[in-house]
Amino acid sequence: MNKIILIAKREIAERFNNRFYRWLMVLGPLLVLGLVYLFLSNTSSAKQHWNVLVMDKNEIFSNKLAVTKPDNLSFDFINSFLDYDEFASNAEYQKYDLAISINEKIVSNKHVIISYRVRPPEKVQHQLIYLVERRLEEIMVSEFTDLSVEKFRDIKQSLTFNLKDTYDPKNENSTTASWVGFVFGSLIILFVFMFGMTILRSVAREKANRIVEVLLSMVKARQLLAGKILGVGVSAIIQFFVWIAIIAFGLFIFRVTVFPDIFSGSFVADEVVRNQAGQGLTSQSDFVELIYSQIHYMNMLVFFILFFIGGFLFYGSFFAMIGAAMGSESDGQQFVIPITLLIFGAVLSGYYAIYNPGTTLSSWLEFIPFTSPMNMMIRLANGFEDGSAWQLYISLLILFVAALLMLMVAGRIYKNGLLRFNHRLRFKMLLQWSKK
Amino acid sequence: MISIENISKYYERQTILDDISFQLADGEILGLLGPNGAGKTTLMRIVNRIATADKGHVTYNGEILKEKHLLEIGYLPEERGLYQSMTVEKHIIYLARLRGLLKVDAHYQLNHWLEKFEIQDWRKKRIEELSKGMAQKIQFICTVLHNPKVLILDEPFSGFDPINVELIRNELLELKGRGHSIILSTHNMNSVEEICDRAVLINKGQKLLEGKIQGLREQYDEGIFNITFKGNMLAFTTALWTGFEIIDKKDHAEDIFSVYIKMRHDNEVNDLLNAVIGQVKIISVEAVLPTMEKVFVKTINAQKEQVNE
Repeated sequence: MNKIILIAKREIAERFNNRFYRWLMVLGPLLVLGLVYLFLSNTSSAKQHWNVLVMDKNEIFSNKLAVTKPDNLSFDFINSFLDYDEFASNAEYQKYDLAISINEKIVSNKHVIISYRVRPPEKVQHQLIYLVERRLEEIMVSEFTDLSVEKFRDIKQSLTFNLKDTYDPKNENSTTASWVGFVFGSLIILFVFMFGMTILRSVAREKANRIVEVLLSMVKARQLLAGKILGVGVSAIIQFFVWIAIIAFGLFIFRVTVFPDIFSGSFVADEVVRNQAGQGLTSQSDFVELIYSQIHYMNMLVFFILFFIGGFLFYGSFFAMIGAAMGSESDGQQFVIPITLLIFGAVLSGYYAIYNPGTTLSSWLEFIPFTSPMNMMIRLANGFEDGSAWQLYISLLILFVAALLMLMVAGRIYKNGLLRFNHRLRFKMLLQWSKK
Repeated sequence: MISIENISKYYERQTILDDISFQLADGEILGLLGPNGAGKTTLMRIVNRIATADKGHVTYNGEILKEKHLLEIGYLPEERGLYQSMTVEKHIIYLARLRGLLKVDAHYQLNHWLEKFEIQDWRKKRIEELSKGMAQKIQFICTVLHNPKVLILDEPFSGFDPINVELIRNELLELKGRGHSIILSTHNMNSVEEICDRAVLINKGQKLLEGKIQGLREQYDEGIFNITFKGNMLAFTTALWTGFEIIDKKDHAEDIFSVYIKMRHDNEVNDLLNAVIGQVKIISVEAVLPTMEKVFVKTINAQKEQVNE
């Protein structure tokens, strides 16, 4: 064990001495943050003018919303209630971008629904919330209390606002949660590929410069393989945690400085309703919601690490095996292509699962070791129905058992291939070496 | 110390080693000789447990060779490399620790060897900055740093200039003097004659010869003498007549010659002296044993002829 740790330590030190590894540690998360910034910037640059239809069946608002109307908003009132389909399809309402539903019990239930055709930017959402809140305050004060508006404002109960897509009011078609899982799954695949290739290069280099024979006179081939996979794996996890730390810090900075209006009282209110109603109502843009509220970081991180370890051991064995078996560096490239295709297939399987959830194939993909790290992350992000969480553990178990088997096969090929030089690698050779 | 007993190894229906047996005694330098592809490297890998034998076994001090014994063996393979990006110090410490040395002992030994080879200044240099000879020295240090009782060296002199060959040769003799045993595989037959006590010659996986260096050379003795004299060369050749054959000659001065002579028929050195003693003034006479190179070539050729027949 001591020797495995020594080998692993050397691998970690080599990674830290590698300029690419160090740059990736900083530039990788900055790139992600840059993309997040672009998305967040786009959410606040939308239409210039918004036509709003206020559905006030009981005429509580008396066809009035604001004394001084904002330049970017115009309001029309109707004293009837339109359901989502009517608002979505009737020709006469097509000119309206948004509909505010003032229900007859608003005074008691404090609940307002805003439906949209195109999601309004945060600024417009806040304007609407502000106007409805102020108008209702006026009504409450004039009709139910003797208090001043300011006094009433101090003691009043806030309204809760729900923002709904006119065309998908139940949020049935949302793939936001799946994309969260896809991002995590892709990170696993990306890291497995990057660091799998690192294992391959490291093994190939030791073979090429012939130090491997010196090493094998001191340690067993399996110890060398284990130390290498452990060292490179730890380097990958360190890299990942640095990414997470920088990205989390960056998101925090975005939240408090660059995009402070992303979070407001409405968000908090919406969360209350969400909890009460138990359904996925949204008040943020999909992307904002994705990064700031939908990710259950701790839960995802724990399983991310487990699936990453399983996936890394599984795929890493392939890379180590090829690295040890290749006769020359260029010779092994032909065997890297199938592994790359498998990895690419894993990413595609995730894409398939997002748009075809619940199919037999997508269920199988959650258990096949080649694709389970990606597909289980997607499933995890969507949540498990009661009593089905065992599938997660079974998938993990299958992945780890498969990784163990692969490590055993890879260990044999590694041992037999390490001291063979200048041959032309054939699949038949791999089969022979795996049996010895 | 180490006993190689009936080792056989096969690969893809080819016999790499065929029932090889020999022993390495305490404080002995054993030359493991053979042409390229003879099976020497495979044998050395088996002794280092890098490869496994299909038949036979290796014992260390009477016990079947196990992993624990590897701590007492130092192996310098022919195809050897170093991690290019590591510093000399870190590299040596790393390999020493893999050999089982504690960090403090590894540092002590590192200082000792860097000082001994007068290369303390290289400590912080990266391996990639070193010349081939320098790197060879580091490799040698890595092999002996853990003070192994047995050294297995495959072509330890390759890549060294004559000064460093001398340095390594002296080092090996010093190690031998301290009771270490060494298996030395080399194509440098001068070194074999100079430092090896015994030699084993293998070819095509078979052991062809084994014995003390002197004994092997005597075994192939062809009755050649080197006679150095002052006088007339013509008179000398005439005196020899048909009983002797001149193989070679060297002119040292106008009238001083060295002549290599092979006895013919049943003639002996006394007959040679009787024949020439009145003709020239004899300075010296010595028996010339065949070099190990000749022993090597003759044995290999004899095996070839045997196979052809």
